[in-house]
Amino acid sequence: MRHLFRKLGFYLVALWAALTVNFVIPRMMPGDPVDIMLAKLGQKGPVSPEAKQAIEAMLGTDSSQSLLSQYGDYLGGLASGELGVSLVFFPASVSSIIGQTLPWTIGLIGLATIISFLTGVGLGTLAGWKRGSWADNLIPVTTMFQSVPYFWLALILLFAFGSIWPLFPLNGGYDVYNVTPGWNAPFLGSVLYYGTLPALTIIISSVGGWMLGMRNMMVSTLSEDYMVTAEAKGLRSGRIMRRYAARNAVLPSISGFAISLGFVVAGSIVTEAVFSYPGIGSALLQAVGGNDYALIQGILLIITLSVLGANLLVDLLYSVIDPRIRARN
Amino acid sequence: MFHLTKSRVVATAAVLALGLAGCTGSGDTGKSGGNGDSSITVFNGANGAIVENWNPFIPNFLQPTSGAIHEALFWYNMATDAPPQPMLGTAYRWNAEGTELTITTREGVTWTDGKPFTAKDVAFTFDLIRRNKAINATNLQIKSAVAKDDKTAVLTFGVKTFTDEAAIIGHTPIVPEHIWSKIGDPSKTINPNPVGTGPYKLKTFSAQSYVLEKNPSYWQAGKPQIQNVRFISLATADAASAALTAGQVDWMTSFLPGLDQLLKNHKELTYVNTPAMTTAIFTCSNAALGCTGPQTDVAVRQAIYHALNRDQLNKLAGGGFAGTASPTMLLPERDKKWIADPAQATIPGTADVAKANQILDAAGWVKGGDGIRAKGGQRLSMTIQTVTGWSDYISLNDAMAQQFKEVGIELKPSQMSWNEWSNNQVQGKFQLSLDSIGLGANSNPYHTYQPKYSSATTAKVGEAARNSGNFARYDNPVVDRAVQAAAGTNDENVQKEQYKIIQQEIVRDLPYIPVYVNSLLTEFNTSRATGWPSNEDKYALPASWKIWDNGIVLANLKPAQ
Amino acid sequence: MAANPIALDVPIPRRRVTLPPLTAKLATGLIIGAAIVLFGLIGPLLVQDPSRVSDVGLAGPSAEHLLGTTQTGQDVLAQLAYATRGSLIVGAIVGVLTLALSAFFGIVGAYAGGWVDEAFSLFTNIMLVIPGLPVVIVISAYVADRSLLLVSVVLAITSWAGSARVLRGSTLSLRSRDYVLASRVAGEKRWRILAVEILPNLIPLLASQVVFAVIFAILGEAGLSYLGLGASDSFTWGTMLYYAQNGLALRLGAWWWFVPPGLMLALFGAALSLINFSIDEIINPKLRSQTRAARRGWRMSREQLRKAKESTL
Repeated sequence: MRHLFRKLGFYLVALWAALTVNFVIPRMMPGDPVDIMLAKLGQKGPVSPEAKQAIEAMLGTDSSQSLLSQYGDYLGGLASGELGVSLVFFPASVSSIIGQTLPWTIGLIGLATIISFLTGVGLGTLAGWKRGSWADNLIPVTTMFQSVPYFWLALILLFAFGSIWPLFPLNGGYDVYNVTPGWNAPFLGSVLYYGTLPALTIIISSVGGWMLGMRNMMVSTLSEDYMVTAEAKGLRSGRIMRRYAARNAVLPSISGFAISLGFVVAGSIVTEAVFSYPGIGSALLQAVGGNDYALIQGILLIITLSVLGANLLVDLLYSVIDPRIRARN
Repeated sequence: MFHLTKSRVVATAAVLALGLAGCTGSGDTGKSGGNGDSSITVFNGANGAIVENWNPFIPNFLQPTSGAIHEALFWYNMATDAPPQPMLGTAYRWNAEGTELTITTREGVTWTDGKPFTAKDVAFTFDLIRRNKAINATNLQIKSAVAKDDKTAVLTFGVKTFTDEAAIIGHTPIVPEHIWSKIGDPSKTINPNPVGTGPYKLKTFSAQSYVLEKNPSYWQAGKPQIQNVRFISLATADAASAALTAGQVDWMTSFLPGLDQLLKNHKELTYVNTPAMTTAIFTCSNAALGCTGPQTDVAVRQAIYHALNRDQLNKLAGGGFAGTASPTMLLPERDKKWIADPAQATIPGTADVAKANQILDAAGWVKGGDGIRAKGGQRLSMTIQTVTGWSDYISLNDAMAQQFKEVGIELKPSQMSWNEWSNNQVQGKFQLSLDSIGLGANSNPYHTYQPKYSSATTAKVGEAARNSGNFARYDNPVVDRAVQAAAGTNDENVQKEQYKIIQQEIVRDLPYIPVYVNSLLTEFNTSRATGWPSNEDKYALPASWKIWDNGIVLANLKPAQ
Repeated sequence: MAANPIALDVPIPRRRVTLPPLTAKLATGLIIGAAIVLFGLIGPLLVQDPSRVSDVGLAGPSAEHLLGTTQTGQDVLAQLAYATRGSLIVGAIVGVLTLALSAFFGIVGAYAGGWVDEAFSLFTNIMLVIPGLPVVIVISAYVADRSLLLVSVVLAITSWAGSARVLRGSTLSLRSRDYVLASRVAGEKRWRILAVEILPNLIPLLASQVVFAVIFAILGEAGLSYLGLGASDSFTWGTMLYYAQNGLALRLGAWWWFVPPGLMLALFGAALSLINFSIDEIINPKLRSQTRAARRGWRMSREQLRKAKESTL
């Protein structure tokens, strides 16, 4: 019980710290949001000096408020689920922007992460099981891909398979020309098709990590005494591989997987920039560009929550799948 | 390529509706019937998720709102010096004091919901602005706005308002009274089902793309002819160039390096270059207001002016597309009539190193051992700021640093975020900065000289100058008086006299040192639509992000045969 | 992100610092890595000013410009030399900072135990859940003149926590080893136990974490630069790629501008990975020794194995 409370206490403190960081960082950024909006408007056409009052009136911003009372309002707003109005996407609310962009990110990066994990763990198991086999020889190659800068690889692949040999679409989340968003087959098919190349680039550049980790754990596990016992008992090798070796070797990978699921939301920024994908990462970039405190805070909040959630999941999962921890409790 | 059966069905239905409505007399039903499925795609610079907002009075409205959907009374073609063209208004008249404006409105115009447009809508629109400070972006001092009859609206103002003429007749979208009178707070609505008088109306919207369809009862006979116009969002120049060459975009305005090479194998793609904004080195020029650095010495600014090899800058940074600038900061061709001294219409392309050296020598800047001049212990070294990612400006800085070295000036380029850069300019916390000047409310030089050179729009260093204002901290009573005098009249000849005075002052003082008129490259795909603006026919500013002009261009397009 | 979850469960051998055996992997890694470092050190002294513009824009490789020129006629080779130096500086700074921070919060905390460990561990865990890249982006946007140093520091601050957690785990396990307890009983000073008994055994793990941090930093800097948020005062592989991308180098066929920086990144990353493989084998000797498959292979041929398998089915 005490262990559980400690864990919960940690998550609360971590949440508070993250929320405070979210609050402080955007406010340290230079420039007044109203001025920035004015200057941006000024690029497109003439704006009179008095427009400032007009915009202040519209945004309802009050720069005279003290930082402490802003902090109070911020925490109060969060508690009631109120994230405020976005500046960059004015007049849309922060929650509507997040609601609009988050599914794309989770769909694309989430799926790609899962596929990458399954492939990597599968290949890693084989590589560790039979060292020197084709799977094992793949490791240097996948590791090489991991050290290639992701966006460089993605840009080359996009150029090759989007422009030179147009197998895949060039940008976007779905075919905006021909399909209507909704739960219909053409739209869903289009989403899958448009997501394939971005997902492939993510898988190519991340599968190496899973593979190497799993392989090394397999190798370690295989030299345990109970493996020798299993072999001595004459168990089928497939059974040894899956039930005895892989099951134990996969534990650290699963914790890594849960953590990386938490970073799905955070890791999508570059992918979305390369593929003009309509996810939450591109929204964050725009928010940063426009000093959009409310949106930055909202998105960082989502990211923090997903990371904390994933960590909590690891903790809970571990006690379920790892009998040693269960025994200790 | 983009026509699936489904969209064809929708298009056919629209054609049927058009056939019925067409009886009211536009007379083009036969012709447009055959083009019912014509469709083009526009990229107007949208990036990321698109947020629905069709309210032309609040920031972030979708760009086609003003132009394609809502129209103003008149329209200024910024590509030429033409007088305002009548749109919903047909004539306007000021009283002698400049406090009362009488507008005659067009007859026979209907809103897209079928209700007739009258002068009452015009009066309502301006009264709406009068009543709501939040949507009064140009701070018009409206006292009253009334419709004398169905085709005459009279606006009265508390102050002399000549200089706001363009804002009133050219940049105020007219909205229907029967819709907007029911909207509680016009600064809070997104106007979800926009009803306008323009050539297009909203068809479908999603966060990735939206479609406008043609307004079958548009008041200009025979226009528009393109059935559907789709607007899309792209993240980068790379994505835009890829979409363009793949034939997925018909109209976009984007500086693409190596444009000729990109379009080489695409016969259907063309482009037009309409330079409109003058790229200039903004200097924090006024030591009295707190500026520090060698650039506060007018001799240094003059030397920079002569040391620039603008031909080379154009080649390296401008892609060879930039136009020649004028030391008066006006556009040499469009604004010819406003430039008093023909010798100041353009700047020579090559550098005059001898003259630059002579000016600096005379001012007492002596070359030191490292080749950089100094005076009284101060090295002739300045920092120039630009925004990270503005690659043409970054190239400009690299090239200028090299050119300045030849006359003993050291230039230190620095890059920063857009916010920081903009904030530095507003606060005066810079030595040199690259920015551009131009595209005022109309082509009258007042909209350049008043904001950029008058002391009313500046502030001490550390205090915020006016938005898009006098960032150079330039303060010259002669210029101030001339600006004031030009504002007090709408007689062009009187204005020309005043502008002549201003030009003499600023050409000598150079608070903004012109580099070149930056290119404005607009790319078209002619395989689906023709009739785009060209250098021979500048019927509108072709930039796809320009409000108002977008409606003019879209209305003039014809489906390709 | 969580640098190397595997290392958590890895047993630490009771042995003092060992140099890894010079395998083919290690040799390749060291040679490539050394060549790139050398290029970064000496290259900038031999090439022209990387910012110097000329009228020969976007020209392919030639005798005058071995790697061609950029849009503004700048020499790509010169830029590459300076960029190599810049990226290596980022890697070095982040490597050193990660070493210091993770060693302090991981090793010292775990060794001291008690509330110090509690506090350090809490702090580490909080830093771990604060998302790196987004915070880096926000901070980068905040700072006006992003120097190389600043970008490196920001990258280090957001990335040391994973290493610290790994190190803490190992230190905890070492702390309770018999020989440590023995030296404690023998009355050795605490700092001496830490420095002499524990630290040497952590060196391979530290090395592996630092190598990871360097790869992470160089790739991270490149990612930031691609988003236009990298160092603005220096050349790095990332900023080179950024300008190449902005200049549509790929679409205009200017491979000599786009490919070299990416390739250098990939090569350097691969070299470090190869070195890390070898370090891993010190940390975890099981990775070196031949295991089950090999043991069988010694006895039976492939054919025999297959038959044996069939017979057991």
